[in-house]
Amino acid sequence: MENIIELKGIGKSYNSKDYVVRDIDLTVKKGEFVTILGPSGCGKTTTLRMIAGFETPTEGSILFKGKDISKVPPYLRPVNTVFQRYALFPHLNVYNNIAFGLNLKKLPKHEIEEKVSRVLNIVDMEGFEKRKINTLSGGQQQRIAVARAIVNEPEILLLDEPLGALDLKMRKEMQLELKQMHENIGITFIYVTHDQEEALTMSDKIVVMADGAIQQTGTPEEIYNEPNNAFVADFIGESNIFNGVMTGDKRVGFLGAEFECLDDIEKGTKVDVVVRPEDIVMVPYDEGAVKGEVISVIFKGIHYEITIQSGKNEIIAQRTKAAKVGDKAGIVLDPDSIHCMKREKNINRFEGVLTKKGTVLFADGEFECNVSMLYPDSDVDAEGNLTDSEGNSIEYAGTKVIAEISFDDMRMSDDAGEGGVCGNIFSLIYKGDHYNYIVKTENGYEYILNDEYLWNENDYVSIVIPKDSIKLTHMDSEV
Amino acid sequence: MKKHFSRRYLGIPYMIFLIFFVIAPVLVILYYALTNGKGQFTLSNLFGFFSSGYAIGTLVYSIFIAFIVTLVCLILAYPAAYILAKEKVRKSSVLIILFITPMWINFTLRITALKEVLTALEGNISYYPFLNTVIGMTYDFLPFMILPLYTTISKLDDTLSEAAEDLGAGSAKVFLKVTLPLSVPGIISGIMMVFLPAMTNYVILDMLYNSTFIMGSLIGSYFAAYDWHSGSMISIILLVIIFAVNIITDRFADDDAKGRRAVL
Repeated sequence: MENIIELKGIGKSYNSKDYVVRDIDLTVKKGEFVTILGPSGCGKTTTLRMIAGFETPTEGSILFKGKDISKVPPYLRPVNTVFQRYALFPHLNVYNNIAFGLNLKKLPKHEIEEKVSRVLNIVDMEGFEKRKINTLSGGQQQRIAVARAIVNEPEILLLDEPLGALDLKMRKEMQLELKQMHENIGITFIYVTHDQEEALTMSDKIVVMADGAIQQTGTPEEIYNEPNNAFVADFIGESNIFNGVMTGDKRVGFLGAEFECLDDIEKGTKVDVVVRPEDIVMVPYDEGAVKGEVISVIFKGIHYEITIQSGKNEIIAQRTKAAKVGDKAGIVLDPDSIHCMKREKNINRFEGVLTKKGTVLFADGEFECNVSMLYPDSDVDAEGNLTDSEGNSIEYAGTKVIAEISFDDMRMSDDAGEGGVCGNIFSLIYKGDHYNYIVKTENGYEYILNDEYLWNENDYVSIVIPKDSIKLTHMDSEV
Repeated sequence: MKKHFSRRYLGIPYMIFLIFFVIAPVLVILYYALTNGKGQFTLSNLFGFFSSGYAIGTLVYSIFIAFIVTLVCLILAYPAAYILAKEKVRKSSVLIILFITPMWINFTLRITALKEVLTALEGNISYYPFLNTVIGMTYDFLPFMILPLYTTISKLDDTLSEAAEDLGAGSAKVFLKVTLPLSVPGIISGIMMVFLPAMTNYVILDMLYNSTFIMGSLIGSYFAAYDWHSGSMISIILLVIIFAVNIITDRFADDDAKGRRAVL
């Protein structure tokens, strides 16, 4: 099938420093239902607005059937949008709202009437022509908004969280109806939502976005079963995420045991392991590869959510049979249910520069460090100066270095003055026996660290790194 | 038993004010309008007004002046309000400096200053009585047109313009089909706040040497001649006209604008 729209290296920045979205590459085929999924502030709406033409990308190009339309104004684009808050015209009735686009095209009156009544039929709102917008319920307004967009027969329909304002039951109904509509009228849909269930239910293809960048593109099954990274796994559905290490050919060790898996990753690689709660098989204590004790059981309607403590790890399982708190339980896992993901980063690595005071500056922060590790055989003399083996002092101020700190060596503090840098917790992912945090500083540097305790997203924290945990190397020695 | 303080009691001062300064004067005017010098009931004041070509001429002239002033105010105020509401200027400060601070200066002083400026430009300002009246009133009433327009336009949802653009409207069409119709409540509020005062404000005419009468000066002249009865009748007629205009415009304004007008 032909590509109807292509985004090539799209970036958008309002001040040419911070990017709202960056490096977006996306291809949409004719007739597809594509969903852009992500938490709020991830840049999904901005991406949609660039396709609609309300924003101009600062980088890259948008191709419509191979033609660059990046600079084409919205009113000349063959796309129509269903807005988040519907944006129906309050001064016009239902008929005139829907006929708005057709009137602008100066179509003959009978043709407009015909088209309007046809789309009212599609959205199941016949007989509402004369009604005023403010007399309609949220769900009805939603349908009119869809009708107003599709009556123009656009090549692409853009939907910006169209169901966000509806209650749960209405939302489920509209999901099915939109999906049905998509199949019946054959227009390409590009749909933006933060609701992962909505995305999984409706889409042919899901684009997961976070922090202005695409994390993964794939079918709903691919996204759910083979997430690219811990973020996607955590965002889509519920999941247990553990730290693991590849122990052999398609074998991975985590939770103190070794399992067979299907992912072929080099031995010794540190990985994130995802196991969906519904894939955890509870067996009698003695038969379990991992053994533990049930510490909580929550009834969820269709299933029970059972938390099992094994050593320091907590494992969440779902099953239809209840369990008792305090029960001893064993766990086995099917190789098919274990998904190993290479980590993007295993260590924090920053470029920095040494100061006169014996500290190192990097990533918005200043930390005390052990400079002597840069110079073999050096020593600190009585006055605190660094000297080489012959007693000559070493001038190190201004030296460019690479600083590396492992995730486990950092900690967070409430006291802004205690650490070398402050930032906000940008994301946290629970990993069985600890949380993995990303703290973002003022200028967008990311510090990744592990902490046993739960902090909240957006907490303002300072980052404390013990002096000897910062591993320094000369920048030139890096190849 | 504990005595409950009802919030209704807070309204008492306003009720007293209303009775003494609104209701009572209106009743007095009504009494004078419908009586003659001997205190007998009569409609002759009413007939007197409508049979006097001079009085009718003044009414027509007043309406004409008010119409022109309102139109000029609207034409000047709309772009100003639109720019203030939509462009990224430092809104509040610009709004205050340009349109509110003149109101801090005494009215007479303002008009006197304007008179000097006009004299400098025109030489003898009594040659252009109509033009000067329009300029003076526009100068005085413009803020009352800008403020309601500004509130209405700044509350307009930007996504509506985007929706129109998305449906194929260029910027001119967006304005004509969405922005303008949706600012009608503000336009009506503005008209109400300019049209009616412009019909009666004779001080500006006086100060700018416009010897023509408008409704305000007509009433004033009767009162000055101790003819309370005819003067009162004209006041009542004006009241009825104002009331009628109110009813007509209310049909176009939405609830929102009504509330805002009540505030203003």
